[in-house]
Amino acid sequence: MKYIKILTALVGASVLSFSCTKLDEKLRDSLQDESSTVNAAGLLQSAYEAMNTPLMDQSRVWAAQEHTSDEALGPTRGPDWDDNGVWRVLHAHTWNADHAFLRDTYRELLQVQFAATSVLNRNPTGDQRAQARFIRALSTYYVLDMWDQVPYRTDLSDYGKLPLTIKGSAAADTIISELNAVIAEASLANANVIKASKDGAKALLMKVYLNRGVYAKRDAPTFAPADMDKVISLADEIINSGRYSINPSYFQTFAADNSIANKEIIYSLENTVGVRGGNNRFYWFCTLHYNQKPSGWNGFTTLADFYDKFEASDLRRSQAYPGVTNVTGLRVGLLEGQQFDQNGTVLKDRKANNLAFTRKVALKESGNDLEITGIRVVKYPPDFAKGIDGNAENELVLFRYADVLLMKAEALLRKGSAAAALTIVNNLRSVRGATPLGALTTDNLLAERGREFYWEGWRRNDMIRFGKFLDPLPAGAGTTSTRSTKSGTERLLFAIPNQQLSVNPNLEQNPGYQ
Amino acid sequence: MTQKRLLPVIVMSFLLLALQTFAQQKSISGKVTDNTGAPVAGVTVTVKGTNLATQSAADGTYRLSVPENASTLVFSAVGFGTQEAGITGNEVNLSLASTSANLNEVVVVGYGTARKRDLTGAVASVKAKDFNQGVFNSPDQLIQGKVAGVQVQNNSGAPGGGSSISIRGITSIRSGNSPLIVVDGVPLAGGTTSPGNGTPLGGTPGDNPLNFINPSDIASMDVLKDASATAIFGSRGANGVIMITTKKGQTGAPKIEFSTSVGVSSLLKRIDVLDGDQYRSALKKYNQTSGDYGQNVDALDEILRTGFTQNYNFAVTGGNENGRYRVSAGYLNQEGIVKESGFKKYSANLTSSFKFTESKRLGLDFNLLTSNTATDLAPISNDAGFQGSLIGTALQWNPTHALRKANDSIWISDPALGQSTINPLALLAAHSDRTVVNTVLGSISPYFKLTSNLEVRMLYAANYQNGQRKSEIRNWLNLQGNNGFAQIINNTSLNQTLNYTLNWTPQLTKNINMSGVVGYEYLKFDNKGQGQTASRFIDYPGIAYYNIMGNAPPVDRSIYSYASPISELQSYFARATFNFGDRFLLTGTFRADGSTKFGANNKYGYFPSVAGAWNITNEGFLRNNKTLSNLKLRASWGQTGNQEFPAGASIKRVGIGQGANQVVQNFTNPDLKWETNTMTNVGIDFGFIDNRLTGSAEWFQRNTEDPIFARDVVAPGPAAGQVWSNLPATVANSGFEFSLNYGLIRNSNMQWNIGGNIAFLKNEIKDLNGAYETGALSGQGISGATSQRMVSGQPLNVYYLRQFEGIDKTTGQSQYTDDGNTLFYSGSPNPKRIYGITSDFTYNKFFAIMNMNGAAGQLLYNNTANSVLVIGNIGTRNISQALFDGGGVESAANPIAPSTRYLEKGDYLKLANLTVGYRLGSLGKAFKNVTVSLTGQNLFVITKFSGFDPEVNVDKSINGIPSRGIEYIPYPSARTVLLGINFGL
Repeated sequence: MKYIKILTALVGASVLSFSCTKLDEKLRDSLQDESSTVNAAGLLQSAYEAMNTPLMDQSRVWAAQEHTSDEALGPTRGPDWDDNGVWRVLHAHTWNADHAFLRDTYRELLQVQFAATSVLNRNPTGDQRAQARFIRALSTYYVLDMWDQVPYRTDLSDYGKLPLTIKGSAAADTIISELNAVIAEASLANANVIKASKDGAKALLMKVYLNRGVYAKRDAPTFAPADMDKVISLADEIINSGRYSINPSYFQTFAADNSIANKEIIYSLENTVGVRGGNNRFYWFCTLHYNQKPSGWNGFTTLADFYDKFEASDLRRSQAYPGVTNVTGLRVGLLEGQQFDQNGTVLKDRKANNLAFTRKVALKESGNDLEITGIRVVKYPPDFAKGIDGNAENELVLFRYADVLLMKAEALLRKGSAAAALTIVNNLRSVRGATPLGALTTDNLLAERGREFYWEGWRRNDMIRFGKFLDPLPAGAGTTSTRSTKSGTERLLFAIPNQQLSVNPNLEQNPGYQ
Repeated sequence: MTQKRLLPVIVMSFLLLALQTFAQQKSISGKVTDNTGAPVAGVTVTVKGTNLATQSAADGTYRLSVPENASTLVFSAVGFGTQEAGITGNEVNLSLASTSANLNEVVVVGYGTARKRDLTGAVASVKAKDFNQGVFNSPDQLIQGKVAGVQVQNNSGAPGGGSSISIRGITSIRSGNSPLIVVDGVPLAGGTTSPGNGTPLGGTPGDNPLNFINPSDIASMDVLKDASATAIFGSRGANGVIMITTKKGQTGAPKIEFSTSVGVSSLLKRIDVLDGDQYRSALKKYNQTSGDYGQNVDALDEILRTGFTQNYNFAVTGGNENGRYRVSAGYLNQEGIVKESGFKKYSANLTSSFKFTESKRLGLDFNLLTSNTATDLAPISNDAGFQGSLIGTALQWNPTHALRKANDSIWISDPALGQSTINPLALLAAHSDRTVVNTVLGSISPYFKLTSNLEVRMLYAANYQNGQRKSEIRNWLNLQGNNGFAQIINNTSLNQTLNYTLNWTPQLTKNINMSGVVGYEYLKFDNKGQGQTASRFIDYPGIAYYNIMGNAPPVDRSIYSYASPISELQSYFARATFNFGDRFLLTGTFRADGSTKFGANNKYGYFPSVAGAWNITNEGFLRNNKTLSNLKLRASWGQTGNQEFPAGASIKRVGIGQGANQVVQNFTNPDLKWETNTMTNVGIDFGFIDNRLTGSAEWFQRNTEDPIFARDVVAPGPAAGQVWSNLPATVANSGFEFSLNYGLIRNSNMQWNIGGNIAFLKNEIKDLNGAYETGALSGQGISGATSQRMVSGQPLNVYYLRQFEGIDKTTGQSQYTDDGNTLFYSGSPNPKRIYGITSDFTYNKFFAIMNMNGAAGQLLYNNTANSVLVIGNIGTRNISQALFDGGGVESAANPIAPSTRYLEKGDYLKLANLTVGYRLGSLGKAFKNVTVSLTGQNLFVITKFSGFDPEVNVDKSINGIPSRGIEYIPYPSARTVLLGINFGL
C-alpha cells in the first residue's frame, strides 16, 4: 500500500501544481488595450511612423502622383520591370480597382488616420492632440485628393462598426476645420522640420484652399476668390514669420543633411538612423542603372518633353553635387546622355553598351538599348554615409517654402493679380539660375511648378488643378508620346479598391469604374 | 471471446509471461525470426489443440516441453500472423511472415491502444519493418507513400529541410494543415524553435520540426485519419493525428544492437541551361555582339558536390519481469550536395518501464528523448530578388565566363559582367549560416491497476527546445546594399503535458465487452526568443562577424525579444467502445477543449464522434468461408477542431516599440474560436484466402467550417490591422482511398509481398466572401506578382493567372487572352491522386525491398523559369535550355509576365527507395544477426516537370496564407546510395 500512497501523493501534487486553469491569457511582450500604460505619447510616435509606409516608397502615394503625370514613368525593360504591369497602367491611365499598389496606398493612408485617432482617445495633452489631428488631416487630405471618398472612423472601440464616409467638399471642410483647430492650439510649436507645427498646418491648409474648387468639381474646377484670399493670407503669415527662406543650394534641401541649417523645409518626414526612418533611398534606387554607383534597379525615368522644359542654366536641371559627383561620378538632377565614374571613365550597361541615357523611352522597351533608355532623375543626393546599404538620413520633404511662395503666386494669378504673382515667380527663378519670365500664365506657372517640384509627389495634384491631367502627353523632340490619347474624366480619381468596396457598404465605386 | 483479448498489449504480454509451462515428455526448441531474419521476441508458441504454451525470448529462441504425440506448433504474435509448423525432430525454427493487415495487430490510438480488428475508425499502422529504408533526418519520411491519403512532401532537398504532411488533403485557408504528432502519448506543439528569420538574401526555408527524433528509434507510426479516431484530440485533431511509438526494451539478457550506414549523395535531376558552346550559338542567333568570354563553365557543378553520409545507431535493451529498458544513441552526419551545407544530429534516448509490488499492479513508464542537431544552411532563400540566391546565381551564370581568375581566386564583381552579377562561388564563400537545435522530451507515466480491468494512469511530459542561429554575409560580397551582415537568433520553447486517464475494460454481459477511457489533460505552451542583427562590419579574415557583433556601429545594430502569451489547453475526454460478440462494434468519443487562445465567449469547444463496425466474417453464414477470411464494414461521423492561430489573437493588443512608441497590433474578437472539421467516413476492410490478399477502401467527406482568418479591419484600421475571425465559409474535401496487399509468394524459403495504395482527393472552397491572394512570385521583373487565390467555387490555392497563348511569330512577344488584362482560374496545385507502391521480397537469406510514391493531377508553377532563366538574359546571363531548343522565335525583349506559360504538370512517380540485402546470420560467437544491405534513395523520378524535383513546395505565402506547388530556385534534391551493416552483440 506504500506505493499507492506514493502514487496518490504524486498525483495530488501534480494536480495542485497545475490545477484547473481559468484559461485567461496573459500578455508578456505587449500591452492589453485597457492597460493604463497605453498612452498618447507612445501612440503619437507610431502615428508619425505610420506615415512612412504610404509616403516613403516608390510604389505608394509617390507613384500615384508621379507615374500618372507628365514627369515620370516606369518602363518595362524586356524581362525587367514587368511587375504584372502595375507601372505601365499608372502612366497609361488604365488602372482598375484591383491595382495592388493603389489598393495598399488607400489602406495604408487610412492606417495613418487610425493611428492618429488612437492618440485622441487616450487623453492627450493639447500639443499631442494638435499633432495627431495634423497627421490625421494630412492622411485625409491625400485620400480625398486621390479617391474623393474617405472612410472616417472616430469610434475605435468596436472594429465591427463601419466607418462613415466623408467626401468631396465636405471632406475638404472637415480638414479645414481640423487644421484651424490645430493652428489655434497654443501649446503647439510654431515651426518644426520633422514634427507637426502651426506652419506645417498652415502649408497644408493652403493646399486644401487652393484645391477646394477641385474637390467640388474635378473636371471643371472654379477657384473662389475667398479661398484664394485664404491661401494668400496663410502664405503671408508664413512669409512674415521670418523663419523661412529659399535655399540657394537647390539640392541641399534634399540631401542627407537637409534638416540641418536649412530654412526652406517646413515639414518633412524624419529619417534618422536608429531613431526613425523609412525607405527614402528608393529615390535613387528606383532610377539608377545597375552599373552606377550607387547601384540601382534601373527603373524609372522622366520624359524628354519634361526635360526640355528646363533652360540649360537652370540649376534644378542637373548639377554636380559635392560628396556625390566627386566620389562616384554621379550627378544629381536629370541625368541625360553618357554617364561617367569619378575619374571620367565611360560607364557601360550590362550588354556592354555605353551607359548613355536616351531621350527616347517607351512603356515597353524591347531593343538592345533597353537598359539605357530614358532620362533618369536623382532628386535626393544619395546619402553615401548611410543610405547605400541602409536607411538614408535624407528627410523626405512634404512642404517647403518654395511651395508656399508658388501657391501664393498661383492664388494671386487666379484672382487676377498676375503682376504680383510674376514677381514672386521670377524671384524664385533667379535663385534657381533661370531667366525671368516675361509674363505669368497658368501654363507657364504649371511648368514652373514642374521644374521646382519634380518627383516630389505633387505633379498629379497640380496637373488636375490646372486642367491638364487628362491631356495626351506631348512627345519631346525626336521621341514618341508615351500616352497619346486623352483620358476619360474618371481618371481624375482612382478607383475605390475592390478590397475595401467588398467589406464596406458605406463606400461606392467612383464614377466610370463601376 | 475472452476478456484478455481486450486488454492493452502491455498487460497482455505480462500476463502471458506469467503462464507456466508444464512438465512434459519431449522438449522442443527453436528460434523465431521475422522475414528480415531478426529474432522476434514475445511470440506465443502453443502446442496445437492444447493450452501448452511458452514465449520466445529476446533472441527469438524458445524451449517448450510437448507431449510425445504432439505434431503441430502454433506461433502467434502481435504484428504477425498466426502460423503453424509441423514438429519434426527436436528443433523447429520459423520465419514469421508478416502481414501488414493482420487482425490481431495492435495499433496505437488516442490515449490507449486497440486491436486492429476492434477498430471502428480509419487508422493505418506502419511498423518499423515496413518503414521506408535509408537515412532520414526526421520520422515523417519513414511513411512517405505508405498510407493511403497521407502525403508527405519534402519542401526542399536540403538536409534537415522541412516537409509538408497532409492527411486527406488540406482544409485550412490560413490556419495550419499539419497533423498533430503524438510521441509516446505526448502531443507535440507542432512548431520548431529553429529560427526562420531571413537574411539580406531573403526568407529562409524552414526546418523540419520532427528533426529531433531519431527515426531508428521508432517502432511504429499510426495514422489516425477519420473523426472516430481523431475526435478524442478535439481542437487539435482536425488535420489528422500521427502517433509515433518509440522502440521499447524487451525482456531478456542485455542485448546490443548496432547499425551503421554510409553513403554518397548526388544531384537527382538537373535544370537544363545552356553550356558554353550552346550559349555562343544562342548569342549569334540573337545577334548579340557581347557576352562571349570564351570559356565553357558549368556553374551548377561548381557549387555542388558528392555528399557523404554516415549514420550510426546503437542500442542496448534488456530487462526482466520487473523492469525493461532500452538505451540508444545515434549519430547522423549528412553532407548536403550543395557545398557548405549539411545536417548533423546526435541523439540519445532512454525508455524504461517498471513494475512494482508483488502483484505488479503499480507500474511506471519513463521516456527520455534528447537530441542536438546542427544544420548548415546554404545561401538559398524563398524569395530572392533580382540578384538571386545561390542556385539562381549558378543557373544564371554566363557559361562562357570563368568563375575564377587566372590565379585561381574567385571573381567578385567582374566589371564586364556588371557589378550586380554575383559569382555563386563568392556567395558561398561570403556566407555562413548555422542553426543548432537542442531538444529534450521527457515523460514519466505511473499507473496503477485498481482492479483487473480498471487502470488509472498519469502522464507528465516536458518538451524543452532551444534553437540558435548564427548567420553572416561578408562585406566584400557584391550584393546590392551589402556592407557585412550578421545575426544571432535564439528561440526557446517549453511545452508541458499533464494527463490522467482511467481505463475500464469490463465484460458487461456474456456477449458484450466494453472498453472505456475517461481523462483530463492540461497542456501548456511557452515560447520566447530574442535576436540581434548588425551590419557594417570591418572584415577580419577568419573572424566570423557574429562573434564580433560589437564591431558594427551602434546605429547599425538592432535587437529584439519576444515572449508570446503562454497558451494553455484544458481538456476532458472520454471514449467507450462496445463489442457485441465480435460482430458489432460501437465507439463513441467526446472531448471538451478549453483554450486560452479562444475568445472570451467561446472558451470551450466540444468535439463528439460516433462510429460503428460490422465484422461480417464473424457472422455464421461466413464463418467457415475459405475464400473470404475477413470482411468488415465501418462507418463514422465526428467533429474535430483546428486552433493553429497565434496566442493573443483574440485580445486587443498594443505593441511596445522603441522608446515611447506604442502601436495597436490586434483587435479583440471575443467570439474567436477553432475551425470545425466535420468528417464522415465509410470504410470496408477485406481479406481473402487466409488474408493472403488484404485491403481496405474508404470514402470520406470532410467539411471545414468557421475557417480562421486574420482579416483586415475595414479601413481605417491599425497597420498590423488584423482581427482574427472565423469566416462564414466552408472548405469541402472528399475522397476515396484504396489499399491492397498481396502475398504473391508465401512459402518457407521465399516470400514476396506487394502492396499499393491510392487516394483520390477533391477540394473546394464554398461561400467565401471576397478573394485572398497568395503564391507570391519572386525575381527580376515580377515584383509584387501573385499566382494563387483563396476564392469560392475553386480548390484551395487555385492558380489565377494570365492565359498564355503562345509567342507571336512576328514580334516574338508573348500573347495572352484579352491581352493579359484578364486573369483566369487556371488549375490547382493540389494533387488529385496520391499513391504508393511497395514490394518486399525474401529468398532465404536474401531480401529486396522497394518503395515508390507519386502524385498526379497537380500543376506546379515554375517561378525559376518565369524570372531566373528568361530569354532576356541572353548576352548577360544564362537561359533555360528549353528556350534555346524552342527555335528562337521569342524576342529577347519579351516581358516575362506571370502566366499559365509557367504552369507545368507535376505528376511524378519516384523510386523512393530500393534495398537489397543479405542476412549473414551469426559471425563467430560475438556477432549475431549480421545483415548487410545496399539502399538507394530517390533513385529516379519519372516526371515531365522541368525543375529539380516535382516534389517541391517553396514557401511563397502572403500574410500567412500558405502557397502550394511553387518552385523557385530551391535546394536541389539528391539521390543517395547507402551501404548498411546491422548486427547484434
